[in-house]
Amino acid sequence: MVQLEVFLQTLISGILLGGLYAVIGLGMTLIMGVMKIINLAHGELMMVAMYIAFWLFSLLGVDPYVSLLVTIPALFVLGVVIQRTLISPVLKVDSILPENQVILTVGIGMILANLATMFFSSDYRSTPVSYAADAWYLSDYWRSSPIELSLSVPWTVSFGFALAITAALWGFLQHTDTGKAIRATAQDKDAALMMGINVERMTMVTFGLGAALVGAAGSLFIPMYYLYPALGGKFTLIAFVITILGGLGSTQGAIIGGIILGIFESMTATYIGMGWAPVGRFVIFVACLVFLPRGVAGLMKRS
Amino acid sequence: MRKFGRIAGVALLCLAVGTPAAMAKTLKFGIPLPLTGSKSKFGEIEKRSYEIAAEEINAAGGIRGMQIELDIQDSQGKPDIARAIVEKFIDVDKYPFVVGAYSSSCSKAVAAVAEERKVPYLVVTGSADDITQKGYKYVYRMNPSVAYYTGGLRGFLKEVVKPKTVAILYESSDFGTKGAKAMEKDAKKLGMKVVLKEKYESGAVDFKPILSQVKAKRPDVIYMVSYVMDASLLMRQIKELRIDAKLFAGGAAGFAIPEFIENAKDASEYVVTATLWSPQAPYPGAKAFAEKYKAKYGKYPSYHGAEAYSALYLMKDVLERAKDLGSDEIRDALAATDIVTAFGPVKFEAKEGYTNQNFMDTLVLQVIDGKHETIWPRKFATAEPKYPIPRWRDRR
Repeated sequence: MVQLEVFLQTLISGILLGGLYAVIGLGMTLIMGVMKIINLAHGELMMVAMYIAFWLFSLLGVDPYVSLLVTIPALFVLGVVIQRTLISPVLKVDSILPENQVILTVGIGMILANLATMFFSSDYRSTPVSYAADAWYLSDYWRSSPIELSLSVPWTVSFGFALAITAALWGFLQHTDTGKAIRATAQDKDAALMMGINVERMTMVTFGLGAALVGAAGSLFIPMYYLYPALGGKFTLIAFVITILGGLGSTQGAIIGGIILGIFESMTATYIGMGWAPVGRFVIFVACLVFLPRGVAGLMKRS
Repeated sequence: MRKFGRIAGVALLCLAVGTPAAMAKTLKFGIPLPLTGSKSKFGEIEKRSYEIAAEEINAAGGIRGMQIELDIQDSQGKPDIARAIVEKFIDVDKYPFVVGAYSSSCSKAVAAVAEERKVPYLVVTGSADDITQKGYKYVYRMNPSVAYYTGGLRGFLKEVVKPKTVAILYESSDFGTKGAKAMEKDAKKLGMKVVLKEKYESGAVDFKPILSQVKAKRPDVIYMVSYVMDASLLMRQIKELRIDAKLFAGGAAGFAIPEFIENAKDASEYVVTATLWSPQAPYPGAKAFAEKYKAKYGKYPSYHGAEAYSALYLMKDVLERAKDLGSDEIRDALAATDIVTAFGPVKFEAKEGYTNQNFMDTLVLQVIDGKHETIWPRKFATAEPKYPIPRWRDRR
């Protein structure tokens, strides 16, 4: 019975974590799908959003979840600016390295992290919200429950927002003209161009959208975590693993990939050891590259 | 224009000649500290405390008629940077001695440089056991090593809690690993069974998987060795999972500073932590220092502050006894130290595998009504220990 409780609690943790991971991975996947580049400044964009949420909270007392209304548009604009002024010119230039845009994104990430260190110092910050350690308990609702499970308030609320954002994105891609144009661009750039789609503009919107998604993830993460300038790398890596796992550019793949990663990490932490969780992340990454090179999306197509 | 240049040149020359004479009146203390980065909270406390001590000493006439000047450099808590800073202190600035550094890993890096260059180094807060177990001749440590941090806590466990089992969670750093090992030894002495011993990588987002394992093992005591952000996350998630141990105990560092309570909020209530000092410690100047610090910065300093503050007084005593200000003379004076500072008695001894190590009593704090109170040993206590602690379900 006790072991069942441990298992279920771990599963809950894994799913909640996975849902949040999915939002982080979605932005990178979207950009990958349309522009065929990996945005390695992804985690740093999240860091920027977290700073926005942090300052809104500490200076104006704005709840991190309300700050979504600011971080999403702010990061969208930042993404568009980065795409127009930095990435787009480089995409057009022929160079010795075919992947020079990827290297460019690494540079952008470094600049963002160092700017944050310069302006905000490398101190750790947090938004101590009143509900940070609140939770719902199974035994409060079902008195005679043989096991006790808990559902953290901030984690669950963040997870809910993550689902809503994912659903909104899906609706946008599926049912709006811009969304359809983005999907067309992702499928075949030249064909889309011939059909009269403004590919240049779609690329810009996509990058903005990718940044906005990870910006949302920043606002969702800060109530239960904390913040420092060098935090980007860790989340870039997570997004990267999810993008590979999901099958480079597939949004459904990214969602499933995120949840798989979340559950896998939690299970590793419970049953192998917490120090091994980051190792587990790489194991799944390598295993995916070897056995499932097209990711979850490839698997879904086959069946 | 050229004339102006010449005048400026002469003026500069005068200044250059003038400075060494002025320099002789000041005594520089080279101190590496983490002023930015994950350990910057500790660096900030120490920097303020050094400054308070320097001000007091200077107002009272300085050391050997010289005014103290602090040369505090930011190590970011990284050993390689701390090492570079100290190499500059010794090789370029020619300081005859070095003081400080916060973390164990930085202190260790500094100790190696100091020993190699034969320059005395006073370790102020670095607590990993092996810093003073290597037989270094120029490295002296005024704080107890991490193995002794839990001395007070051990007494509290033995006489009040009487636990049978313990779970140990620790950060995979130098300090965390050594702290966990020390607890394991203590557990053996107290007849406690270690039901779980698990390390984590600092910066983890979700501790719940490992905490649900802890919950399943139902330990009497959960002992954690962490710096501040992990400490708050751990307690917050323990509250979330309603893990009801008889006692939640921290191994100093992250649990013993006010930021722990600020971040963990009500999840920090009743948590006890080992500590080396408290404002109520019965040493001359302890209370006065704590009040002065509070008046200036709004809250009481942690033990780190008292260590830094007392380190300067200790060095004052040492430098006044030294024959002259050469490195070897200072070291000889350090070795002969026997004083009581605001932090406690300091006397460097060689025993139990340590050399040049200070041994002292340690205390236990408990968070009561959102404040750290001293609860152990009884003679120093400011509040009755709150024990047994209520179950999470029954709180509020």
